Amino acid sequence: MEKVSGNLDPTWGRMAGQERRIDDTILIREAQRGNRGAFEELVRHYDQAVLRLALHLTGTEHDAQDVYQDAFLKAYKNIGSFRFECSFYTWIYRIVTNLCLDHLRKRNVRKEDAPVVKDASGGEYDLLDQVPDGRAGANPERDLMRRQLGARISGALEKLTPRERMVFELKHYHGLKLRTVGEILHTTEETAKNTLFRATQKLRGALADMR
Amino acid sequence: MKCEWVKENITLHVYGELADDARHELEQHVARCADCAAELKAAQEFHDLLSQAPVVTPSPNLVTAARMRLQEALETAEQGGFWQRLAFDPANWLRQVSFSPALASAILILGFAGGVGTSYKVFVHQPPNAATGATPALAEASITGIRSITQEPGTNQIAIKYDTVSTLETQGSLNDQRIQQLLLFAARNNYNSGVRMDSVDLLTQKPDVSQVRDALIYALRYDTNPGVRLKALDGLGGFVKDDVRVRDVVLEALVNDSNPGVRTEALRLIEPAKADGSVRGVLMTLAAKDQSQYIKSQARTMLAQLPEID
Repeated sequence: MEKVSGNLDPTWGRMAGQERRIDDTILIREAQRGNRGAFEELVRHYDQAVLRLALHLTGTEHDAQDVYQDAFLKAYKNIGSFRFECSFYTWIYRIVTNLCLDHLRKRNVRKEDAPVVKDASGGEYDLLDQVPDGRAGANPERDLMRRQLGARISGALEKLTPRERMVFELKHYHGLKLRTVGEILHTTEETAKNTLFRATQKLRGALADMR
Repeated sequence: MKCEWVKENITLHVYGELADDARHELEQHVARCADCAAELKAAQEFHDLLSQAPVVTPSPNLVTAARMRLQEALETAEQGGFWQRLAFDPANWLRQVSFSPALASAILILGFAGGVGTSYKVFVHQPPNAATGATPALAEASITGIRSITQEPGTNQIAIKYDTVSTLETQGSLNDQRIQQLLLFAARNNYNSGVRMDSVDLLTQKPDVSQVRDALIYALRYDTNPGVRLKALDGLGGFVKDDVRVRDVVLEALVNDSNPGVRTEALRLIEPAKADGSVRGVLMTLAAKDQSQYIKSQARTMLAQLPEID
């Protein structure tokens, strides 16, 4: 089992994963026939992960919702052309990552270097206020340090290129195999490996002063 | 240099991405090389550091809000590429897809269910028509097509343009030109043979009007329903002697009609004109070759009654 502190593990037990795969196939075929209920059920299998990805990369709930909406609408419109040549997981992640990459690129162009994110009403706030902490109040000092760390990391992530950030996000926060990451980003596993290496080097450089 | 390779792959090792043989090599090397061991340790610590930071998770509210917004959007979204898919089953699709109430009454089913008989009806309030004096109590509008569906952005207002055919009623006697026109139209154009029959039946009461006779001739010649043809024949029967066109069409029916009842009736009705040269010619052919025994013998009888030609 891999280390999962601070890292949400999306994999279930093997059996459950296989069952889910079968379910998905049936749901996909139904959705292709125009069954909207089937599509909505399919969405529920993936949407929390998708929303998390969007939230991490866009930084605001508002933008995350927009990405979520665009991604699933696009999926709905195009599910007819899904030919099972890859898993639905890969397919939907592809759509989401493309939208997120577009978002990141647009943001880079606007040259916003503030690591602080904006909430839905445009006011600045610390996104990490949203993080539920099971041990809140138990150790305030520790909590503060963690939040500061979080802010520093967010700042460091902003320094990566959109692609580096995407690869890092998918590997570190979603636990995807680099081979899958390559599939999602339409690139080779080798390229994904190199990108991850560059990303971690940059992050280590940015956070070198931290223990 | 081995160290270079190891340093490049330490990150992958930390993330568990190394293949078994590569992992083994790396571990072997690190056991012997202090530099690389230190690098591995640093990489590991960095990974742990990152993992200490809290991870932002979407709140349940956010998830719910996103799902609801998506559901709304799906109601008006269309799927593409239907026609390329082999599995498309229109009837099944209609059963499965749930339409929002705004769209439900406007969707054109005609194309999918197939057949002219099915259509959606919308009740349209119509004021009484002062010109004809007819007062349609209730008028139905059959929807024949949807022209456009647009949604006002930012609202839930939908504007739909649709074409209708409305059903009206008019009353009058056979002498009314409007009634005659409608009957003539019905005789030719209605897909419902019952309506055609009714109209032809009525028209037979006014066969001296030339357009009416035309309509009866047309019906006898082209109508697909033998009952309608028989009715038309009855209407025309009296004019076989005087009107060449009627005689010709009755002869045609006698020779070509697929229905024996129509042919028999045509034979009976042609009798007053049997002295005519063309009629005699047909009778002779029938007497000699016809499939139907009855027609054959009747033709012979008729010919026998005629005086010999020099």
